[in-house]
Amino acid sequence: MRRIFYILLSNPLSVIGLVLVGTVVFSAVFADFIAPFPSHRGAVVDFSNFNQPPHWPNIFGTDLVGRDVFSRILYAYRISLILGVVVLAIAVPIGVTVGLAAGYLGGWTEFCLMRLTDVFLSIPPLVLAMSVMGLLEPTLTNGMLAVTTMWWPWYARLVYNVTRSEAQEGYVLAAEIIGASRLHVMFREILPNCVPSIVTKMTLDLGFVILIASSLSFLGLGVQAPTPDLGSMVAEGGNYLPDSWWLTVFPSLAILIAVFGFNLLGDAFRQVLGSDQ
Amino acid sequence: MNVLAKTAAAALLSASTLALMPTGPAFAETVLRLDEVAVGELDPAKASDYADSILMFNVYDTLVVPAQGAPGLVPHLAESWSADGNSHTFKLRKDVKFQSGNPLTAEDVVFSLDRMKALGAGLSYLFANVDRAEAADENTVTFVLKEPYAPFVASMLRLPIVDKKLVMENLGDGDGDMKDWGQAFLSANGAGSGAYKVTAHNPQQETVMAKSADYFLGVPDAAPDTVRLRYGLEPATVRTLIAQGEHDISSQWLPPEVLKALSQDGAQLLTESGTGGFYVKMNTTKAPLDDPECRLALAKAFDYSAAIKMIAVTDEISQGSPATGAIPVGMLGANPPSNELSRNLDEAKKHMDACRYNVGDQNIEISWIAEVPLEERFALLMQANFAELGIQSEIKKMPWALFAEQVSKAENTPHISQLFVNAVTGDPDTLLYGMYDSKAAGTWQSPEHLNDADVDKLLEEGRVNSDEAARSKAYHELNNRLMAIAPSIYGYDRQSVFAASNRVKVPALSDPSKAFGLDGMGFTFRLMEMQDN
Amino acid sequence: MSPVVRLLVKRLSISVIVLIGVSMLIFTIARVIPGDPARIALGPNATTEQVEKLRDKLHLDEPIYIQYGYFVRDFAKGDLGVSLYTNRPVTTDIAQFLPATLELVIVAGMFMIGLGIPLGIMSARFRGKAADNIIRVISLLGVSAPSFVWAVILMLLFAFFLPLFPIAGQISDTLPVPQRITGFLLVDSLLDGNFRAFFSALHHIILPAFALALSGIGQAARLTRSNMVETYDKPYIEMAQSFGFPARRIANRYAFRPSLIPSLTIIGLDFAAMLGNAFLVEAVYAWPGLSRYGVQVILRKDLNAIVGTVLVISATFLIVNIIVDLLIAYINPRIRLAERGGS
Repeated sequence: MRRIFYILLSNPLSVIGLVLVGTVVFSAVFADFIAPFPSHRGAVVDFSNFNQPPHWPNIFGTDLVGRDVFSRILYAYRISLILGVVVLAIAVPIGVTVGLAAGYLGGWTEFCLMRLTDVFLSIPPLVLAMSVMGLLEPTLTNGMLAVTTMWWPWYARLVYNVTRSEAQEGYVLAAEIIGASRLHVMFREILPNCVPSIVTKMTLDLGFVILIASSLSFLGLGVQAPTPDLGSMVAEGGNYLPDSWWLTVFPSLAILIAVFGFNLLGDAFRQVLGSDQ
Repeated sequence: MNVLAKTAAAALLSASTLALMPTGPAFAETVLRLDEVAVGELDPAKASDYADSILMFNVYDTLVVPAQGAPGLVPHLAESWSADGNSHTFKLRKDVKFQSGNPLTAEDVVFSLDRMKALGAGLSYLFANVDRAEAADENTVTFVLKEPYAPFVASMLRLPIVDKKLVMENLGDGDGDMKDWGQAFLSANGAGSGAYKVTAHNPQQETVMAKSADYFLGVPDAAPDTVRLRYGLEPATVRTLIAQGEHDISSQWLPPEVLKALSQDGAQLLTESGTGGFYVKMNTTKAPLDDPECRLALAKAFDYSAAIKMIAVTDEISQGSPATGAIPVGMLGANPPSNELSRNLDEAKKHMDACRYNVGDQNIEISWIAEVPLEERFALLMQANFAELGIQSEIKKMPWALFAEQVSKAENTPHISQLFVNAVTGDPDTLLYGMYDSKAAGTWQSPEHLNDADVDKLLEEGRVNSDEAARSKAYHELNNRLMAIAPSIYGYDRQSVFAASNRVKVPALSDPSKAFGLDGMGFTFRLMEMQDN
Repeated sequence: MSPVVRLLVKRLSISVIVLIGVSMLIFTIARVIPGDPARIALGPNATTEQVEKLRDKLHLDEPIYIQYGYFVRDFAKGDLGVSLYTNRPVTTDIAQFLPATLELVIVAGMFMIGLGIPLGIMSARFRGKAADNIIRVISLLGVSAPSFVWAVILMLLFAFFLPLFPIAGQISDTLPVPQRITGFLLVDSLLDGNFRAFFSALHHIILPAFALALSGIGQAARLTRSNMVETYDKPYIEMAQSFGFPARRIANRYAFRPSLIPSLTIIGLDFAAMLGNAFLVEAVYAWPGLSRYGVQVILRKDLNAIVGTVLVISATFLIVNIIVDLLIAYINPRIRLAERGGS
């Protein structure tokens, strides 16, 4: 553990990543205390102060109904993180189970499961999520569902590849010889060896889930008003370029910073855990 | 073929200018560029929205047109008309030819009506009451109504005359004698007598039109030679294109902030007003809005002045003016401009107390049409306004197509819908009947699902009575009744604002004495004047 | 049978299975969800009778597997049905909008390969030095934002504040559109000999293509770098270095070649991802591609058009991946030999 921290802290890029992710998570969790206008996360209108460029106390300006853009970005982070965590919490177990089963059991199970995975993988991710989201009603839950449908196959692929090589290893054969059940072999023997790659991928993916979710809401297939959401803030602000630039620039940078942070951190994990593929 | 035609035209043009004025500057073809929301429906029997109206009014002609700067109708294809009970007879001009060269006769008028009724799309409901049309001779046509309908002649504004011979030559696959009624042909080609002919049409992208040289009224030289109507441009795109001099007239759907920025950059603002309003419609069949007291509470809680402030473009020009009731100022039956509606929270609370529901338990669904971003702001405004009465609400974004589907059933219709509705012929009947008559419930205009005997009676009176004073009285009473039972919140009287470059002059949209009082008619291209660059 | 042909046949047959799966999946998703497509299509003023007639025509009241049967039957005839949104055959719609999207994606792909790989090579050659760190940060930044964010930022910087590029569309309004031959504007204008149109189209495509390519550039650079760094540790490179071969030659010749193969695989995947991301960029630049159509048909529950659009995009995706696999097989002698040995 200490070694991990040492390596992390010795690389300036990882430190930056850690700081960025820390900031994003911190502001999402403590948005109620940091945001200068916590009520602006919801339906508040203030037509005496709408569409204003950055000024004190609205350091990122105000939107078209007079809400503080900075406060809304903080709350949008909260929604994005919740979405990211929930999506991975559902997608990873599904993907891992499919990958383990296909890789270890082989035969028809392998063929069917992996072709199913291929089907999902051969629809460009955004298009698949869009179809699901567009046909359902755009809500947070459906957003999670849509992103989950496109996410699990990647874990299935990853775990499948690792499992296939691990299945030939001596310890697996040994466990089989002493009569361990298939479930035991899959989840107790092989799974632990997949953990490093899974963890690395999850860190990277948290950033990418935020990215994809914001893309969906950018296309108008995301969370509904008045819930703050980075993608829809950019999309809506885009109509008022270049005059009201603050409506798009700050939410755009907010997405960039969050995803960049998770990527730096994911890279760092990759080096530390030595699963640099 | 298109390219060939263009090249040929260009060659002809350069040849003639060379011959006429060998030393002068080359005569430049004037191009007018404007935009609207997709889809541009070219088939006049399916035309319903603003883009379709622009196409229809330029490619086709109608029997009558609205008078400029005054109420009433003036002759156009028809020289004169007369009514005898339920039949209306029109005398046609004899000198009108279609763009194809075919003469325009009474047969074509009959065909256009039959086609409109057979397809049953667009604004065909305006003609549901017409039993038949008959051609007495080449230039006389008689419409026979099933029931008396006072504003009938005004509905002729929405019956574009189609070239029967050309359509019959181009019928597509279909069942019966008339096959597809030329739908395939007319969705891609023009078959009218209008001042502009279609040279290219893509419903998603753009329609290109060119001056028709032998229009029966002639087309002034100053009118644009070519018009390019583009669909679905983003506001930021339009904003920059106009600023860079690459676009001439914006659609009316630009947000007020963008119009403001453009006018500060020197663009002119054009306006068209008087035929419609912004209506916040309440589903009168769903708790708690089935109790009029609850509806009145919401109507009183709505912040009318904030709404007006939201749509202001400059100090003088706004996308709307304060509403005075259910009928926009200037129309038959409207209240005087001084009767502005305003917010009154105390009264709202009194109505709330009188309401039979305990509103803390209710959650109201406020929908907004995805294609109209401005409505999201109104949704937020309402959510905040209603919260002051203790009413919880949820905002829901709906694409237009989905909205139109859901309103067909009262139980699927959201509590609150926001709509811009206008009188398609300028007469209050075409504004109010579709919204409030119990027989019209459940269309996109009537998400209230209102069923009120008094309203029905007054609407009927306005339709049937041919005496102008009696009609006016009926509509005044109707207005009062609609205020008393509040099926809708009457947000504001709408005015369309367009930003335009200074290359073009549009008297019909800038000079009140030239205004038509009919949505879309201001875009009659032949009356526009292109300035030299 | 030559090994490459055999590989092609194998990959193609798997692709067909996958495509059938995709069609079933999207067909099911599109039909189990509430909302009546017939009512939506006919619009607000339609009568119940008209709606019933259209439902009947679209077989909407039949069980889903029967509906799928009709779909397969029509598909075999090259017919994807009529879009309820545009009232035109879906194939016509797609044929109209797809070329613009493909053009954008192909130009973006060129940016990705032309900039991403050289950046990766440079980064690996100067690994640990300042140049390496700068390139790594830039490429990570590229990966870290959705393409619509780049599209908006680039548009603000290079179209609004520094008006170097046009902000929207595919070609200048003042120019006549070249005759449609392939549908690719860049190609058509050249075939037409219309160089003004060509340069205008080029001018219009640069910004959107670059915005679309940025994440791919980052990905390609990162990947090339990490693969090359691995190769640099191999003994033959050390040997070349001890022989005093020039660093650039070592980088381009010996270290790059072996790392090309894994890079190609990922580039194939990235290219496919760009097909989806093009939706975002097109929305920002009002690009007349499949995006607006795609979003509209999804919002309107236009079943035929949704199925058609997703199928065509997926097929393109699969074709690109097959091409990449063949390229790899062609480049990599081990695969060629393995295939030969295996028979």
